[in-house]
Amino acid sequence: MSPEAEKARANFERFARGEPIAVDVGEIERELGSLWQQASHDGGTGAVGRAALWNLVIPTRGSALAQTKALVDAIAPAVPVRAIILCLDDAAGGGDLAATIESHVISQPGGGRTVYSEEITLVGPAGAEAHFGAMVRALQVPGVRTATLWLDAGMPSTLLVRELLPVTRRLVVDTGSCTGPLHLQDLERLAARTQPRPVSDLGWLRLGSFRLLFAGLFDPPVGGGPLRGATKLVVRHRAGGDVSALLIVAWLGQLLGWRPLRARETPDGGLRFDLERADGGAVEAQIIPGPGACDASAILAIELHSGRDEYVVTRDAFDEAHVQLPIAPPRGVKLDAYSDADICVAALGPRGRDPLFARCLEYAGRLWSLEPQAAGSRR
Amino acid sequence: MEKIALPAALPNPLREGLVEERIPEPATMVIFGASGDLARRKLLPALYSLTRDRLLPARFAVLGFGRHAQDDDAFREEMRRGCDEFARRRPVDAALWSAFAKNLFYQQGSYDDPASFQRLKTRLEEIERTLGLPGNRVFYLSTPPSAFAPVIRSLGQAELAPQPAPGKPFARVIIEKPFGVDLETARALNRQVHEILDERQIYRIDHYLGKETVQNLIVFRFANGIFEPLWNNRFVDHVQITGAETVGVEGRGGYFEQAGILRDMVQNHLLQVLSLAAMEPPVAFEADGVRDEKLKVLKALRQIPEGDFERQVVRAQYAAGSIAGRAVPGYRSEHGVNPASTTETFVGLKLFIDSWRWAGVPFYLRSGKRLPKRVTEIAIVFKEAPHLLFGRRGDTIRPNVLSIRIQPDEGIALNFGSKLPGPALEIAPVSMEFRYGTSFGMEPPEAYERLLLDCLLGDSTLFTRGDEVEASWKWVSRIHQRWAAENAAGKTTLPAYAAGSWGPEEADRMLAADGRAWRLP
Repeated sequence: MSPEAEKARANFERFARGEPIAVDVGEIERELGSLWQQASHDGGTGAVGRAALWNLVIPTRGSALAQTKALVDAIAPAVPVRAIILCLDDAAGGGDLAATIESHVISQPGGGRTVYSEEITLVGPAGAEAHFGAMVRALQVPGVRTATLWLDAGMPSTLLVRELLPVTRRLVVDTGSCTGPLHLQDLERLAARTQPRPVSDLGWLRLGSFRLLFAGLFDPPVGGGPLRGATKLVVRHRAGGDVSALLIVAWLGQLLGWRPLRARETPDGGLRFDLERADGGAVEAQIIPGPGACDASAILAIELHSGRDEYVVTRDAFDEAHVQLPIAPPRGVKLDAYSDADICVAALGPRGRDPLFARCLEYAGRLWSLEPQAAGSRR
Repeated sequence: MEKIALPAALPNPLREGLVEERIPEPATMVIFGASGDLARRKLLPALYSLTRDRLLPARFAVLGFGRHAQDDDAFREEMRRGCDEFARRRPVDAALWSAFAKNLFYQQGSYDDPASFQRLKTRLEEIERTLGLPGNRVFYLSTPPSAFAPVIRSLGQAELAPQPAPGKPFARVIIEKPFGVDLETARALNRQVHEILDERQIYRIDHYLGKETVQNLIVFRFANGIFEPLWNNRFVDHVQITGAETVGVEGRGGYFEQAGILRDMVQNHLLQVLSLAAMEPPVAFEADGVRDEKLKVLKALRQIPEGDFERQVVRAQYAAGSIAGRAVPGYRSEHGVNPASTTETFVGLKLFIDSWRWAGVPFYLRSGKRLPKRVTEIAIVFKEAPHLLFGRRGDTIRPNVLSIRIQPDEGIALNFGSKLPGPALEIAPVSMEFRYGTSFGMEPPEAYERLLLDCLLGDSTLFTRGDEVEASWKWVSRIHQRWAAENAAGKTTLPAYAAGSWGPEEADRMLAADGRAWRLP
């Protein structure tokens, strides 16, 4: 047996016994330091700043590793991070826990300065998650906050709950990847467990530009009057986007004090919620699936009826919307097209600690749990 | 056309949670002097970038006003060229620009003609009605200073800038520098402006205050526990503030002849930076809390005693030299400059703040044109260690310096001594640097973006209050009076410095007399 094979076997045996395994944290740090020195040397324009605003922990599986690494590559230019990717992959072979390191050296506009950030990938077979927590604790840049991107619902929840939550200052989830409202309730429980640490939702952030546009309809001179007297709300969404639509209803219901009463399925495959306004008036809210162009937010239109007036934002295309309100002629508005990396960057910034999200998530859960006429087939 | 009277709008509850975005209410910005350079190079590019970042309200219009005759389309074209060249976010997004440009309008008129302002009012109301705007207005005075008072008077006569009232649309006025040319003219202008406007409506802009590092100075000092205890005369030996430019007068010789560097840079930019660096902690981070503390610093500036004038003030003028490998002419050979000019292009000052915190600590300020590099920085130079345990080894043990770079390469650096690796006890100065671009991976927004947004939001923290302007002019005007007296008596002392140098030897001697030297930033 070759020395390498012998070492791998010994590591596997130690790993199987639950002993410290063959990843030398000190060596990782030394190698990262060498990469930094090399980057400074290669840059030729002076020192290269080594920067980390966050320790960014991303649990993932082997099948999604390339996609995860591409996401980190896209985040690094906007937010310098020390990314620690924790990958469970039975196909990795050897039963060993292996570490690889990469650096991101980004030239700034003008080319004079460069930013250096780091990526550490730990790959191990199923069961290795028991060791990931200790590795993360050892590899965190001291004094720098840690965010966990929990985007893969297939990862063992024990990794998050036992190992990562204790060191996590911000948990990032994605309701956009919820396969259905049931999954939304899991996230709601997770968010409750995570408090008081902020939970940031990529799905919620994707709704941001649509929410902003819709909210803008009720700035002066219109004001909040029509919202108080709202009688009907319709949220149209792409098929499979019912979680996003539910969050939009929850957003309005939360802020306007609508009390959920009942829910039922509609013939068009949507859901209808009967709600009660703070003044006792009735509001009917519908979420309706349908065809149309939209981005990952999955929302096609929001329509609010108040008396005889309608306030509508409709997505015309991937990055365009149409705005309609009683006091001004209809007009088109360009919508920003955000990549997943853009949204992740926002989640790590101030917009990622929106306390309204937790309230809306809780409200969405209440909407979904309405009895007795709720949509049985969806549960 | 009949104007529709709308009831006062109820608050918009959907704005909750969107507060981080700091989105102002729908409004119209009227730019006086819209055919000028500032509108094309700074204002419209800043508004475009704000639109790009979704920081402006969905309903927002710009109405340019100027003497130059042109139609809306020509104005849009000119502003598009400005954005193509100067916007922070380039290339300009064609679709976004198309939507943005639809709400750009132009109105020709004269600044002191009541009929022009009536036409402006009619046009504004028409735009507001068409776009469903609530009547909120910001008037930006990007005009020659001589037009400030006539424009404000005309705004008043046309009832375009009513005083603030609850539930009513706002009317705010942004006034560019210079605000007066001395204490008397600043006071007179304040009086004229206050005849029409409430102080809460007035936004005197100093774009230095919109720079990210200047704002960070407040955060740096008051959000970190470790610096403020050292920020006083027990630990600080002296402070240096440098505002250096490589450019000359850039075709504005006529203007600069009247202004000089003391008016152009020191009275506004550098004294504002000084006041932020030296002020006491404000009771709250809100407009008057911060401005009250800045005012105290400006009021505490010790007037330079007659007998110390030569030791504390140096003025000079650049001679021919070299900048960036290119030969450049001397100031007196520039276009529009009097060949016998006595206008200063460099000033070095030593001043004191008579306060408990800063008693005995000299503040050295210098600003000049045609210096070797464009840089603005504040350097806090700390006292040496009380006992030099390692003895003096050449100049290797240097005082700790905290330097705050305002432009370019915004950031903060702390210099300290460290042992060189090896058996010998050699000490070398090292620098620990924080750079915005490095740590945050993004370039900070342009100063005008921040300031225009703040005005639309009604936040005047980063704008200069009338009493601050008067206090700074009061201090500066004494120097001008002294220089005027010297000139009248034929005793002008105006050394020359070569373009591309750090100023005259006299400036170096001013610090050398105190056993100190200018930093090379």
